[in-house]
Amino acid sequence: MRRSPSFKDRAAAWLPVLVLSPSILAVFVGVYLFICWTAVISFSSSQMLPRYDFVGFAQYVRLWSTPRWIIAVENLFIFTALFLIVTIAIGLVMAILLDQKVRAEGALRAIYLYPMALSFIVTGTAWKWILNPTLGIQKVVNDWGWQSFVFDWITRPEVAIYCVVIAAVWQSTGFAMAIFLAGLRGIDNSIIKAAQIEGAGLPRIYLSIIVPMLRPAFLSVIVLLSYISIKSFDLVLALTNGGPGSATEMPSTFMFSATFRRNQMGVGAASAMMMLMTVAAIIIPYLYSELKEDRNGH
Amino acid sequence: MSTFTKVLMATAIAFPMAQIAQAEGKVEGIHHWVSESEVGALKVLTDSLATKGFIWEDSAVGGLSGANATQALRTRLAAGNPPDTMQLLGYEGVEWANEGALRSLNDLYAKNGWEAAIAPAIQPFVKAGDDYFAAPINMHRQNWVWANKAIFDKYGIAEPKNWDEMIAAGKKLKENGVTAFALSDENWQILEVFEAILTDQNGTDFYKKAVIDLDETALSGPEMIKAFDTLREVRGLVDDGFTGRDWAVASGMVASGQAAMQIMGDWAKGEFLAKGMKPGVDFLCFPTPAATPNYKFVIDAFGVFKKDDAAVAGQDAWIETVMDPESQKKFNMIKGSIPARIDVPVDGFDDCAKRSFADRDAAVNAGTMVGGLTEGFAAKPQFAGVFSDVVGQFFVSDMSSQDAVTALVDGINNAR
Amino acid sequence: MATDLRSARRSQQLGRLFIYGSLVALAAFYLMPLWVMIVTSLKSLDEIYAGSFIGLPKAVTFEAWSKAWGTACIGTKCAGLKPYFINSLLMVIPAVILSSGIGAINGYVLTKWRFKGSNVVFGMLLFGCFLPFQAVLLPMAQVLGKLGLSGSIPGLVLVHTVYGIAFTTLFFRNYFITIPDELTKAAQIDGAGFFRIFFSIMLPAALPIIVVSCIWQFTQIWNDFLFGVSFTAGDSTPVTVALNNIVNVTMGRKQYNVDMAAAMIAAIPTLVVYVVAGRYFVRGLTAGAVKG
Repeated sequence: MRRSPSFKDRAAAWLPVLVLSPSILAVFVGVYLFICWTAVISFSSSQMLPRYDFVGFAQYVRLWSTPRWIIAVENLFIFTALFLIVTIAIGLVMAILLDQKVRAEGALRAIYLYPMALSFIVTGTAWKWILNPTLGIQKVVNDWGWQSFVFDWITRPEVAIYCVVIAAVWQSTGFAMAIFLAGLRGIDNSIIKAAQIEGAGLPRIYLSIIVPMLRPAFLSVIVLLSYISIKSFDLVLALTNGGPGSATEMPSTFMFSATFRRNQMGVGAASAMMMLMTVAAIIIPYLYSELKEDRNGH
Repeated sequence: MSTFTKVLMATAIAFPMAQIAQAEGKVEGIHHWVSESEVGALKVLTDSLATKGFIWEDSAVGGLSGANATQALRTRLAAGNPPDTMQLLGYEGVEWANEGALRSLNDLYAKNGWEAAIAPAIQPFVKAGDDYFAAPINMHRQNWVWANKAIFDKYGIAEPKNWDEMIAAGKKLKENGVTAFALSDENWQILEVFEAILTDQNGTDFYKKAVIDLDETALSGPEMIKAFDTLREVRGLVDDGFTGRDWAVASGMVASGQAAMQIMGDWAKGEFLAKGMKPGVDFLCFPTPAATPNYKFVIDAFGVFKKDDAAVAGQDAWIETVMDPESQKKFNMIKGSIPARIDVPVDGFDDCAKRSFADRDAAVNAGTMVGGLTEGFAAKPQFAGVFSDVVGQFFVSDMSSQDAVTALVDGINNAR
Repeated sequence: MATDLRSARRSQQLGRLFIYGSLVALAAFYLMPLWVMIVTSLKSLDEIYAGSFIGLPKAVTFEAWSKAWGTACIGTKCAGLKPYFINSLLMVIPAVILSSGIGAINGYVLTKWRFKGSNVVFGMLLFGCFLPFQAVLLPMAQVLGKLGLSGSIPGLVLVHTVYGIAFTTLFFRNYFITIPDELTKAAQIDGAGFFRIFFSIMLPAALPIIVVSCIWQFTQIWNDFLFGVSFTAGDSTPVTVALNNIVNVTMGRKQYNVDMAAAMIAAIPTLVVYVVAGRYFVRGLTAGAVKG
């Protein structure tokens, strides 16, 4: 027999939504409303201050005719690809190595993880000196006797971006390692034992069994590292300030400089919209697949 | 007045937070002076303000040559919570004055006769339309050459009279294994050299046409190509370790004899003086060589924002402190620049400053005083940015002069 | 037989050597910048200008540290980092507690009290993680101004909470999803209500992920510079802004040793958190944050 829902039941049904509503409101304003504002500005003629008029796609045309923007976009792809690949590779290797019942695991883990604790300003400044040919590594190695050793990437426009990659990799591998390690520890030992009984060697086991089982960890790492890559603003600013020339310009530094230094708010907003659309193009399919799976698998 | 400004002003007046601060006789200012000498100079002003009964509340934001401070200001204004005063550079003040955010200082200017005390060339940066909105505290000169006297004497080099002589001197030094120019790969340092070349070779009228009016024929003409060619020569006279070099470190190189010359504004003087070196004895200071002498100025000025009535007394006291001749003298003796007021006497200043005074008077009379492009006193930021990008790119790559000129013209047109 | 055993042992030894060797080489790579920073902060200024950055100090001096903490000039105020350090603490602690707390309850709702569209809500919240923050500075400043919170620490706390919700919700939701629904359903049948279940069942079980969330948020908020410089003024700025002022000195001799000491002082809280709580971080990740 069905009883009609009491007031308490009905109130209880609304409670979840009520509890969520402050967050929904905060995110609605802080994220989506502001994105709309940025979109509006990107279609306006704003320079130093916001101007609420409409000029169509003029700012976007201007954006894509700016050589520095093209460089920034190229750099973003190079940087993100290298950053993801190298960080994931090294993080995975470190996790596998640490998983081998190593002594001093705690100390080593702390050593790999601590760079994440530092702010980008600190990281960028320290690496700026290490990579400087007259003050850092090159000088030290030269002083030790290898006069012909050259490591001046940070001074050469074609390869300066790799220096940003090095510093970013240094900062974030520990985090990737921690996630992979957690994933490895969650794998059932019996599977490995079964494979060993069947005669598979350790490398083979890792490659064909364990790594594929780490799929959820891979997804988490990719999402979090992409987040860090987009936020690479502070690091680039502290390490190279976009130089030499504009060689290490990134969309985030471009947007900042256009809005606050060059009084081209409309162009800055257009670049922000481009960044958002790129992010959306990657994240939305991921989110969709994530949540779809979840609905079925639960 | 734009809707934006109306909103922010309404918000500023509606909220009592600002009033509470003012009731205690405070003046809050945003600036980007964070080094010891800069702070020491600022203290001269804040101490003088204290004698008038107002306490200075400091909101220093350093870095990126003032870009961080500008960002802080913009967000404060967007929030309807402007500071009492702000150190204004370049066109920033003009823009805010046009938006109606800055208080008019006409009363103070009239009362104290300040109009006659400042050089006419800087008026566009302290006056918008009919209203004065800022009080300049100092004047820097951008295009000095700082040279190591010992090296010059050793190789028998005299003060060059034009850029050809300067390049020739540089080549002679290079043959003898001496680094001619101490430079960096930072865009602004290179742009300072480039714009010095441009003005010195072609005169201030051409400079105005090309850089301020952004005339396309001037920008794409042979003068530009020649300027880039000369910059390319300079590039050949720079040592290999110039990347990421701080300008103060470059000054140090000249001071210690590792390099012969540095082209830098007068803020470099402090580096030499701090090492106990004397102008004319240990180091030489002369403007970059020009056929007709010019004077490239950079000024720091303070504007005051429209807030509530309680703020006015403090703001007025601050402006009067800034323009006080005695304050200007003391401030600039510490900072290394010369007073913005042209009626402050030269006694007590060192020889380089004295030369600056004399050159400025001459330039005022001849009408060859112009604002520096690098520091934002010529082309507006969106165009200055293009110059900076192209010149910087040219210096660190092997771009041809023609390509550079094409890139420059395209970039300027794109930003119009 | 004996040779097989020996060669097996040798290959195992070589294997261990390889493992330890790689780990130590990697450790050297990760420690190098820290080494540079510590060593530079202990040198006198003359020594730095005379030599390179990487060698050991000839005469160890802690002068740079005491200067950075108590007397370094940040603008015209020469009280070192101490007051700004305190500002950061006042700002970070409420922001971490608020954002983690809200994330926890959000995660709880989204997994145990699902309604139509809860996945859409989650997706929308999550998208906020990827927003480039430079884009929201101006509109956020306008909002803060209207709320009367501009230039103050509470305003900064609000901003960090708003943008932290996306991440904390992600952590808690992914964790709570691994807690079996039967647990909560059983409690409901017993008569427990919404909040009762949350406080007596979910939170106690969530200790690992609470640690993960707090560590992550603490680091992000403590190290933030952009919001700090945009939304605070004068005396209420956090330590990152003060550090930027110390490090970005352009006139005169750069005091590298003070710079490095200041950077280390600013980094100590987060370093301590990671070194001390790092193992809980990994444990917390194992316990569920990792599962996609």
